[in-house]
Amino acid sequence: MSIHFEKVDHIYSPDTVFEFKALEDVSLDISIGRITAIIGATGSGKTTLVQHLNGLLLPSKGFLKVNDFTIKENEKPKNIKELRKQVGLVFQFAEYQLFEETLIKDVAFGPKNFGVEEKEAEMIAANALVTAGIDPKDFNKSPLELSGGQKRRVAIAGILAMAPSILVLDEPTAGLDPQGAKAMMELFSMLNREKGITVLIVTHNMEHVLDYCDEVVVLESGKVIMHTDKKQFFKNDQYMEKASIDPPIIISFKKMCQKQGVDFDTDVLTIDKLVDEIIKKRGKR
Amino acid sequence: MNNITLGRFIPLNSFVHKLDPRTKIVAMMILLVAIFIPVGFIGYGIIGVFLLIALILSKLSFSFVWKSFKPSLFMLVFLLIINMFLIKTGDIWLTIGTFNLYSGAVIQTIYIVLRLLLMIVITTMLTATTKPLDLTMGLEDLLSPLAKLNVPTHDIAMMISLALRFIPTLLEEAQRILKAQASRGVDMESGSFKEKIQAILSLIVPLFVSSFQKADDLADAMEARGYVVGAERVRYKQLKFTFSDFITLFSVTGILAALILIKVL
Ligand SMILES: Nc1ncnc2c1ncn2[C@@H]1O[C@H](COP(=O)(O)OP(=O)(O)O)[C@@H](O)[C@H]1O
Ligand SMILES: [Mg+2]
Repeated sequence: MSIHFEKVDHIYSPDTVFEFKALEDVSLDISIGRITAIIGATGSGKTTLVQHLNGLLLPSKGFLKVNDFTIKENEKPKNIKELRKQVGLVFQFAEYQLFEETLIKDVAFGPKNFGVEEKEAEMIAANALVTAGIDPKDFNKSPLELSGGQKRRVAIAGILAMAPSILVLDEPTAGLDPQGAKAMMELFSMLNREKGITVLIVTHNMEHVLDYCDEVVVLESGKVIMHTDKKQFFKNDQYMEKASIDPPIIISFKKMCQKQGVDFDTDVLTIDKLVDEIIKKRGKR
Repeated sequence: MNNITLGRFIPLNSFVHKLDPRTKIVAMMILLVAIFIPVGFIGYGIIGVFLLIALILSKLSFSFVWKSFKPSLFMLVFLLIINMFLIKTGDIWLTIGTFNLYSGAVIQTIYIVLRLLLMIVITTMLTATTKPLDLTMGLEDLLSPLAKLNVPTHDIAMMISLALRFIPTLLEEAQRILKAQASRGVDMESGSFKEKIQAILSLIVPLFVSSFQKADDLADAMEARGYVVGAERVRYKQLKFTFSDFITLFSVTGILAALILIKVL
């Protein structure tokens, strides 16, 4: 089990006037069983990077290894269907890909494509929908009757139904309200904790990175400029600036305190811990 | 999907790019008429040389035009086979068993290939060197005499320009949905008939839903900015007819006249 990129380049529309190098010399090891955030400014190549993981895009140069599969330069891996079953990829605005008359049928579509019988597929689908937080009352509704956030949950259920060991999410919370976004992140965190699924999340939300992720990969103009542990990442905010992202409130707060001569430990990354620290510091005075 | 070149605008800075869109539309129509004047290989030769010069002037690469042509290759092979069996004029060139290949069949097929090739080069030249918006503006201008007959020329031009504007968007969307469904194990290439139908549905349905949504949003956005159907409109950008336009039109008219002369004499 591994995810390993080795000197991967990706060039869109090669040999035309539209030629564009979206990834350059990407070498990367993603830790299995953890939640990794992929951040970077718009157009930095995040979507391009994650679409290599299940062979939707092929490297123009270099190769990557995902579990037992090797995805080589411009060459479709053998048994790509199995790869796509193991690596569940949820697209940005995934709600636009629903097409069946009912939720349950739509979610059962994936397993059926992988050869599961209709009856069994619907059972798997029902489980996936419940996991994704959809009320069983709604299973026979049309996707068109749901709200945007619910639709996205159904789309995610559609991927969960294939029981992937690696779950890749491209900006899964974009356009959701803060509560919905948080619930969504809780879901991924739960899948990681309880089912041991390796999760990769493309996101712009630093609060989510701070609260839910273990590691951070920073992309800039198609290059990986940093890959590190979350704590290490929040130590210096220059990378957040490079990725044109606002740091989480707690980090900004600590920085402001530092300017006033009050230092907090780098381990202090939650409100609870911060409050404890403040009380401790007051006691000392 | 990304390799579709037919109808795509290529932003370059060339003589042909700078021509007035009206000139290019009229020149295209004249050349299309000229192709169908049956004077044999001389005619195709004259038009071919003209297009070659135009292609070089436009700075488009030959491979680009070839890519536009490639999708029709299959049709051509098909035509060739049909022609071989149906056309029985001219000399017999080849006999295999009871089957005779006539010279007429071969020549007819070559004619069709040449015509198709020329037509594709002509239309590709137009769409590759003219921004869609300029194209509709030119079209609207050329249609403007019809406005006197109460033909809604502006509305027609607007519809065409919106349709053109959304072709790349639709292609992009289709590609996105294809990828998303591929991630769910859809295999567009293999599978049983029933599976294929499902695969196509999984593409078409979301594409329709999002198209309708986009159309709705676009209509709202246009109205919010004061667009009123049938209202009097003025233009920010004016079309200009220059000396190059004159030369271009002069040459294509010359070609047409020459071909008619060859035909009549
Ligand atoms: N199909 C495509 N053809 C050409 N260029 C593309 C295509 N998809 C993305 N790009 C370009 O590649 C770069 C990276 O895109 P993407 O991976 O989508 O970035 P991100 O997800 O980080 O916003 C962008 O500059 C984008 O314009
Ligand atoms: Mg993206």
